[in-house]
Amino acid sequence: MNMITARHLQKEFKTPVIREGRFSGLRTLFSRETVSKEAVRDISFDIGPGEFVGYIGPNGAGKSTTIKMLTGILHPTSGEVRLDGMNPHQDRRRTVGRLGVVFGQRSQLWWDLPVKDSYDILAEMYGVRTEDKKKRLSQFAELLDLESFWATPVRKLSLGQRMRADLAASMLHDPELLFLDEPTIGLDVNAKRNIRQFLRTLNEEFGKTILLTTHDMDDIEQLCSRVMVINHGQLTYDGSIPSLRDTIGLPTLIRVTYRGSYLMPDTIPTAIQITGVEGQIVTVEVNRKEWSTMDILKQLEQWGEIEDVEMKEPDFEDIIHRVY
Amino acid sequence: MLYFTLASKAYSRNLQYRGAHMVHNLASAMFGYMYACLWIGIGADHTLGEYGTQGMISYIAFTQSSLWISGFLTNGLGIPLSVRTGQIALDLMRPVHLFTHLMAREWGQIAYQFVYKSIPIYLLFSIVFSLHWPSDVSTLFYAALGLAGAAYLSICMNYIIGATSMWTTESSWLHWGNHAMMNLLAGFFIPLEWLPNWLEQLAWISPYPFLLYVPTRIYLGFEDGSLLWGTLLWCVFMTLICLVITQVLRRKVEVQGG
Amino acid sequence: MKRTSWFHLYKMLIRTSIRSRMQYKFNFIMASVLAALIQISEFLMVALVLHRFGAIKGWSLHEIGYLFAIMTLSKTLYRTFGNEVHHLEKYLVNGELDQLLTRPMPVLLALLPQNFRIMAGEVLQGGFILCWSLAGMMYSGQIGWIAIPFSLLIILTGAVILFSIGLATATLGFWTTRIEELQTITEDAARTAAQYPLTLYPKWMSGILLTVIPVGFVNYIPSLYLLRGEGGAWVLVAVAAVAVLSLAASLRFWQFGLTKYQSTGS
Repeated sequence: MNMITARHLQKEFKTPVIREGRFSGLRTLFSRETVSKEAVRDISFDIGPGEFVGYIGPNGAGKSTTIKMLTGILHPTSGEVRLDGMNPHQDRRRTVGRLGVVFGQRSQLWWDLPVKDSYDILAEMYGVRTEDKKKRLSQFAELLDLESFWATPVRKLSLGQRMRADLAASMLHDPELLFLDEPTIGLDVNAKRNIRQFLRTLNEEFGKTILLTTHDMDDIEQLCSRVMVINHGQLTYDGSIPSLRDTIGLPTLIRVTYRGSYLMPDTIPTAIQITGVEGQIVTVEVNRKEWSTMDILKQLEQWGEIEDVEMKEPDFEDIIHRVY
Repeated sequence: MLYFTLASKAYSRNLQYRGAHMVHNLASAMFGYMYACLWIGIGADHTLGEYGTQGMISYIAFTQSSLWISGFLTNGLGIPLSVRTGQIALDLMRPVHLFTHLMAREWGQIAYQFVYKSIPIYLLFSIVFSLHWPSDVSTLFYAALGLAGAAYLSICMNYIIGATSMWTTESSWLHWGNHAMMNLLAGFFIPLEWLPNWLEQLAWISPYPFLLYVPTRIYLGFEDGSLLWGTLLWCVFMTLICLVITQVLRRKVEVQGG
Repeated sequence: MKRTSWFHLYKMLIRTSIRSRMQYKFNFIMASVLAALIQISEFLMVALVLHRFGAIKGWSLHEIGYLFAIMTLSKTLYRTFGNEVHHLEKYLVNGELDQLLTRPMPVLLALLPQNFRIMAGEVLQGGFILCWSLAGMMYSGQIGWIAIPFSLLIILTGAVILFSIGLATATLGFWTTRIEELQTITEDAARTAAQYPLTLYPKWMSGILLTVIPVGFVNYIPSLYLLRGEGGAWVLVAVAAVAVLSLAASLRFWQFGLTKYQSTGS
């Protein structure tokens, strides 16, 4: 059975029209006119067990709204969600008890109390047996290096520490499904690396299904096997990353350093675009879907003796921008 | 010019919340309505002195509306907050006297509350209870003076309360104590002549009657302007206290470094 | 999870809330005492009037004191356990409600313990006025000892009614987000009105206070029986019924409101 099934999800927000002019506050309060905003238009997808899926889109595209609908926080205007066969809207408590959720911007830990206290409370809440709790926490402590701030109040933690603590908290009851909403936001490079490693372990070693929303394209590239792109409330892409590159067809950059003199012919194949010439270095853009790398290099060799070749794939960011 | 700017800034800052304030006015008016109902209930079984039932309703209507001029001012004129953030040191260093600075701001606030709270509430009462408005110009004039004096006194009192926050974090005691005194000694719900004698005498030693009771009595036509001399006396006295306190405050900041 | 563990969890969350507050070494007593002082001065105001005039619509000072005290204690009980319902706007504006929705427990159970605190001042003030008015009426033979346990009972039903009103008002926040202005009317104004005998108000107002915003059932209706012997013991049963019904209705409304929750951001 699929871990996540979403069918024709739609969410419409009705906000009152703000009246301008005199007594605007009062008139707004009493007016019945509302403005409808369709945050999510018609989204359907299936995610199987053990998948690590990235969910990306520009701000305001409907990412958070989708996640909130999947986790039962919001009720869709229409459409259905099933998580491992359960309905988060009709059976919220049972479904939610089998999920892990991490919101990057907000902690689920108790602000004024030491980190370990939060785990005790959460264990109680999710019905985690003491032995299981101890076992899992020592595992996480090792993977995430939690020991150093075990007794520190949450409000005193750095962002990186808090995020690690939150991740451990979300996995305390050993859910099979994990939702992450911008978990690496605001973190430094080391912290990001540490967290990505943890997530990779969760997915590859423990077989957890993970849905990740993020603005950091490195997160996607390093962790996800599949990516879904949402824009204006609709899915504009759902597939693997390599095929995303192919679909977009952004050109590869090749920088050739020639030894000695070289001569560019008058007629150049259209598949090759010359974008820069600087002394011995010629930069070209090629579309590898049209010509294979070998053929392109053969062509470039004809122009002179090649001393060095440098190839640069298009940035994932650039690709994403194309999709947006 | 500066003072006018300070005042008008405070005034316009409130404008964006007009809508919410109107809804709040409804709630405020309800409290007044309840008090009026209380007096109507009492008036059914007892004679109500020189006021009569209708007079007491007018009394309540006027005092409730005036609360927004002399009762609900910014807590300590904003000084406690400013002390907590440390802003007070900056304020004291300005080439403007702290007292007049904060007072100007508060006048703006009071002006807004007068236009958008006192007046709508009083209009509402007038309609609901068919109140008579004084036709005599001098009555209105003296009542206006009384209200202005009441507002000024209230500003001074809030200033003094606010200033104490430099020495103690418990200035909220004074603020609430002030509130309680208003309830009992300012003629908030009961005309002062109906208080037990000892309490009535106590009230007149304090400035509280001049906040609500005096302007109301003048407005209702029970007093001429002579009580206003008392208002004036208190205004002068309070001003002196405020000036002295400012000196003390400034010295404290200079010594302690803010 | 079984019912017994809900209670266990609830107790744990309350303890957590108290421990959190301890971190700040706050003087919670102080704020409560201040609020109590204001309320006492409000009562004193009315007491002074009654001192001068004897009675309002046939209600003596002790009887009105009783109305005051019951209302105060009911409200204190409500706010001790259900304060966060009154402050729901904060959760709606900050999106903090999301967090609570991801927990495998009823949202209210997660919400309510967050701000548990003992309101010592108001308990003392309400208790003091209650004792004083009960003593006065027992001395004059108006009531007997049975009034004491009954009073405690109606404080409980009163708290339930006030909680239901607060919950229903808060639920409206799912549509309007801002509820503070409305709460001033449904909670503060209504409660103040019911501190005095409802016969003072025009029919339409007392009607509202007995139906839409049933604060009249917190203290006034029970007092008609307990203090004045009007009706019979069935009055108390009716009051309990109103409490249960209003609670059930608000809870249903709350469940419905949750499905309309819009959260923040996109």
